[in-house]
Parts: sequence; structure tokens; C-alpha cells
Amino acid sequence: MAIMEQQSKLEVEDVSLLVVVIDLSTEQPFLQDDKLSLTHYLNAIITFINSHLMLKACNRVAVIGSDYCRNKYLYPDEKNKLNIRQTDSQYEMFTLVEQTIRNNVKSFFNDDSSKDDEDEPSKLPSLISGAAALGLCFINRIEATFMSKDNLNSRILIITGSLDFSHQYMSLMNVFFAAQRQNIAIDVCSLEAELKLLQQGTDITNGHFLLVPSANLSGLVQYLLWVFLPEPPLRKHLIVPPPVKVDYRASCFCHKQLIELGYVCSVCLSVFCKFTPICMTCHAVFKSHILLPKKIKKRKVNSGSPMSVSGSMRSK
Amino acid sequence: MSDKSKNLPSKQSLKSRTLQCKNLHEYLKTLNPSTLDNLYNHPTTCLAVFRELPHEAKHFVIRLLFVEQPVPQAVISSWIPQAFVKELTAATNTLSELRVWHGAPIPGGLPGWILNPSFRKNLQSALLGGGKPWTLSAQMEEDTKPRDIKFLDDYAMERWECVLHYMVGSHQQEGISADAVRILLHAGLMKGDEEDGSPIITKEGFQFLLLDTSAQVWYFILQYLDTVNERGLSLVECLTFLFQLSFSTLGKDYSTEGLNEKLLIFLQHLREFGLVYQRKRKAGRFYPTRLALNLATSQVQLQNDATQAVEGYLVVETNYRVYAYTDSNLKVALLGLFAEMMYRFPNLSVGLLTRDSVRAALRSGITAEQIVGFLRLHAHPKLLANNPVLPPTIVDQIKLWENERDRFTFTDGVLYSQFLSQSDFITLRDYAQELGVLTWQNEKKRTMVVTKEGHDEVKKFWKRLSKNSS
Repeated sequence: MAIMEQQSKLEVEDVSLLVVVIDLSTEQPFLQDDKLSLTHYLNAIITFINSHLMLKACNRVAVIGSDYCRNKYLYPDEKNKLNIRQTDSQYEMFTLVEQTIRNNVKSFFNDDSSKDDEDEPSKLPSLISGAAALGLCFINRIEATFMSKDNLNSRILIITGSLDFSHQYMSLMNVFFAAQRQNIAIDVCSLEAELKLLQQGTDITNGHFLLVPSANLSGLVQYLLWVFLPEPPLRKHLIVPPPVKVDYRASCFCHKQLIELGYVCSVCLSVFCKFTPICMTCHAVFKSHILLPKKIKKRKVNSGSPMSVSGSMRSK
Repeated sequence: MSDKSKNLPSKQSLKSRTLQCKNLHEYLKTLNPSTLDNLYNHPTTCLAVFRELPHEAKHFVIRLLFVEQPVPQAVISSWIPQAFVKELTAATNTLSELRVWHGAPIPGGLPGWILNPSFRKNLQSALLGGGKPWTLSAQMEEDTKPRDIKFLDDYAMERWECVLHYMVGSHQQEGISADAVRILLHAGLMKGDEEDGSPIITKEGFQFLLLDTSAQVWYFILQYLDTVNERGLSLVECLTFLFQLSFSTLGKDYSTEGLNEKLLIFLQHLREFGLVYQRKRKAGRFYPTRLALNLATSQVQLQNDATQAVEGYLVVETNYRVYAYTDSNLKVALLGLFAEMMYRFPNLSVGLLTRDSVRAALRSGITAEQIVGFLRLHAHPKLLANNPVLPPTIVDQIKLWENERDRFTFTDGVLYSQFLSQSDFITLRDYAQELGVLTWQNEKKRTMVVTKEGHDEVKKFWKRLSKNSS
């Protein structure tokens, strides 16, 4: 009997793998007002991560820090493993996670070697797409080594206070569709704005999007625990805020702006906001002078269908 | 109709025959409330209890962890969609039974829930830090000869197999202490032989042997805890210490400083079963082994770790042969429980699953499910690549052999016979049939069997009938 019960339990008990992408760009508006906000931000995220590990003994986690020019694993850190001894009643494993993340965030800010010397810190937002891609690779690696009889559910949580990611349109879309294929949910917690592009991503991958007003930064941990802690299979058991209405506009390849109407290359399906005689992506030459003013080249990018967008991705 | 009543009692009898392994939650429910409250004074127990809660309940606790006032019950029920009301009640009941939260009216007079204050405080400190450390290991100096994980794994398995060896009766390794034998006897896994009083294995013992290691350890520890009070140890202290062990890090040493006399005795017992490693009795430091880690978390989760450490060794073929790539006597002896051993080579033994050997195992109380589970659990990596892992014919045949034995189902009943007239018999039989309590009837012999539950009703009806006719 005992064994039978165990086997039926196996379906429910699966390992949950969480990859957290933290935006560590110093250009995030919420970091500008208050010196303490970074501490609040990190505390909330670490508490959230430890809560995830607390749920089940076998839960796994990875944390990736990201700014405008690099992405770095903050946890796990195989190279410099800390030797943690318990100093207060925190569970040793949680102390290890917390210390590792804190140390690595510190070295992340101190280590400026990769930045260009002559440039001022760039105003560009963080390379979230790259970090998420790293996360996908990590998940893929874990899944490959995992024994087939166990169930593993993976998800990526992006926490960011940056404003605009439309210049990463292509790579973000690639990440979203890769995640969708692998059945990995992408959650986004934004501290600043309704990030239209990331909203599309959460919608494609069945994740959640949540906008936490940066005035509520001290309550960030409750938002995180509330909305993002339940693992995807459990989410239908708990009521969460209703999904936001997603804006499915594509961004053009020439100026990286979201557009409703645009030109689509008939060869590679790239989207442009203005007519160009030669496609920038595939260098196809259009017979512009004859047909231009008519409706033939001009095609509406359907605002409700991700297909036109996905098509343009694959061709790249 | 009558089929149903037939099956029920037989199922119950089947259950009582098999080994019942409680999980942590069920075990804690058997403790009295004050013990439970005492347990929550330590972060480790809170952590262990938390991990065993139903999924929904975990999220309730996390959501309430930083809320210091009662929350209306209606609010909490609104967290779960209508379709999952069952899960909601299960979660709330569990939390109340374990005294993780209790009812408290909110100012408006509505019923509310509030987390047990000591549980909240200690779970918070386990999560966020603060408070006193669990052990005094921080001040300890480095071990001059640190032990690595592999050494600890080998040590743990060797010690544990020693216990199992003793049970199977293959006495070539050193024996185990009288204390351990007492626990085996207490647990009903072994019993004194009627002739010379030496312990022999029981039906439950056979089933125990076929469990996976972590389940065995947990079962064994539960039985040990039952006897803790008789040894003059405090249950709360022992449990707290066990949980503390289960949340320690593999390959790290911990100080015995700060442990009192009784816990040191407990530690020596754990050492004997391989849950901790100590170089010497008075070494002042100990290493927890894999057996002790995550002891409290359900057995399923543990399998991940355990199976990674120990590779399977069994290959089952469709011709009913079982190849065991092992040199361990214990493993061969275990296989011998339900297979006929044919050849023995230095690193390979071959057995044959026959009707007789499997039936002998079934007779000793092992179920087909357990045999199949054992074969699957220890399947060789080569075999694991197949899908399904075991040849379906073998699995089916073992189950069929079990069904062969279950051709009889027993149900308690009352015999009605010697009816004076056929019509009396028919009315009574039809009445019983209508009630659904008729088990068997024979019209020619005018006899029928009614289930025990239906007997009163049928008797009353018969009395009324005979009164009317007379």
C-alpha cells in the first residue's frame, strides 16, 4: 500500500526550477530617488527566492544579473563556493543563497572591466533578452541531466525597472517562442511601466505580468510571493490578478518602434514603418516605383495575431 | 448490488495485512497538542512541517507570514477558485489540525484565521535569519581530516545494510546492538521465535525490506520515536534534533557541543544506523549522512537524491530471468525473497521468477505491487532506457499470480435456512435483494445468506411477516 501511495503522489510532487533575471541597471528610474531602494529590491528578491526553495526540498533556483552590457550568474556560483556556518537561526542553505547573491551583486557593480572606458554609462536598458536566453540554456542543461521519471517544471521570472525594450525586439521574440516550445513560462514583474513587449511574452508563454508601482517598493516581497511563487501547474488552483490586455503590435526593424500599420517584406517578412527600396534584412530589391502608391505593398499588421510576428522571426 | 458489500470487508483485511508507513503529517497528528506547540518553538520543525503541508496550504502560510492580525476566513476562501473547494477544505483542515493556525474573530465579528505566533516567528527566522543558531558549530575549528561525501555515503549504506542483513538473517557481517534489535522487535518487523526465542523476520519485515531506503529509514525512525519515552529521552528534543539533522548540509561537520547527555545517547543510536558519522564516540563533531538528510520530507522527493547515488543492478528479461549485477549478499537475499536463485557468480547472480517462488513470497505477505515496485526501483540503467522499464508480460504475470490467490473473498453473513414454505423463502429473499444485503441464495435448498449489516432489518421483516400470517 505504501508503495502504491507513493507512486500516485509522484504526479503531484514535481521539482520546480526557477530562473530569476534581475535587472541591475543603474539607469532604472526607481533607483534614482532613494539610496535604500536597491537594498529593498534585493531583500525582497532574496526572500522570494528562499521562499521558493522552502516550498520543496528539491526545488532549484538560478539567478542572473543583467545590465546594459553584460549578464552574469549570481547564483549558483560554482567557482567561489562559500563555506557557510550558521550564525543565526536561518536555514544554512538559505544563508548560502543569500550570501552568494549579495557577494555577487557587489562584485557585479565593482567589476567594471567589461565596460568601455571612454563611454559614459550607457542609457540603454539592460540586456534582458540575453539574460532570459541564458536562463533558457540553464533550464535546458538541468532538464538534460534530469532523470526522465521525474517531472520538472521550469519558469523564468524577469524583474525589471527599465522602461523600454523595443530595441531588443527580435531577440526577445526569439526567446519567447523558444520558451513556448519548451513549455517554460516567462513571468515579468515590472516596477516602472506597462512593458508592451514583455507583456506579449508572458501571454505567449502562459506567464503572468504584474506592474508593481515603484512607490510600493517596500511591499515588493508580498507582490512577488503572492503572484509569482505558485508554480505553473498549481496556478489554476489559486486566484491571481486577471491577465492584462495584451497589445500585440510588432516593432519595426528600422526604428524599433511599435507600429500598427507597416510594410512587410514579401521575402523574409521583416516589418518596416517606412517604405525602403531594399530590404535591410534579406537585401531583396522591391520594384518600388511602379506599385508603391497602391495597396499592394502596404499591408496591415494584424493587431491580434502573433503569427505575422513569429513569421518574421524565423526568417531571420 | 451484493457485489459491493462483498468487496468492502475483503479490502479492509488486505490493508491491515500490509505495512502502513505514516508520513510526517499523520505522525504529528497523533501527538498531543502541547507537544506540538513545544515543537514549534524551533525553526527546524516549523520548516519540516511547512514542507509537508498541502500545496495550497503552503501558499496560505506564505501569504499570511507577514500579516500580524487575523484574516477573515472568507478572504482566504476567495483565494481558491470554486472548482477547487475540496483542496481548500483539505488545506484549512490540515492547518487547523497541525495547529499552524487557529480561529480568531476579527474586529467586525467575522470568523478569521491567525497563524500560530511561535510558528510564524520561527518560520520567519528560518527564512530571513535572526535569533539563535541551531548548533554551536560556528565556533568549531576545522576538522583535520574532513570526510568527503562519497565516504559518508558508503558509510551510511554499509551501516544501514548491516541492519537489513541482520533481518534477512545472513550473518556474515558484524551483528547489531541489542538496542537495534529491540526496535526491530517493537516495530513488529521481527518477532521472537517460538522455539528458542531468537528473533525471526515477520510478514511486515519482508515488506519492509522491499521498500526503498529512505522509506525504510523513516519507518524505522518512527518506530524508534515510539520507544523514546521509555528510554528516558524527551520526544520533543529528539524530534527537534532529527529535523535539525535533516536540514543540515551533506559533507559538513557539526559540533556536539550544547547537546545534553540524553541527546548524546540519541546521537550514538543514530550513529549505529548510519544516520550520522562520528570518528570516535567522544569526537566532539559529527557528519550527517544522506540517510538523515531530508528525513521528514516525503519519501518521493528523497528518491531523486537516493537514486542518483545508488545505481540499479537488476535486469529483468521477458523469459522471467532476473540478473542481479551485484556482489552484495543482502541484495541477492532480497531477490531470493521472490525469485528462485539459479547461479551465483562473483559479480552476478541469476534468478528465475517462477509461479512457486512468487507465490511463496505472496504467502509471506508481500504484495505483487511491492515486488514490481522493487524490481522497478532497482532497475539497471540499461533497463531504465526502456519504456516501460519492466517487460509488461512479467508485470502482468506477477499480478495474475497474485489474483490467483484472491479467488476467495470473505464476507461476514447470517445464514437463513429451513424455511417451511417456498413462498416464505421467496418473499424474504426478494426483500433482502431489494435492500441489497443478499449475499447468496439457493432456491432449491431454501437457504440464503444475508450480510451482517442487513440481518437486523431482514429479521424484523421476517417477524412481521410471520406474525401477520399466524
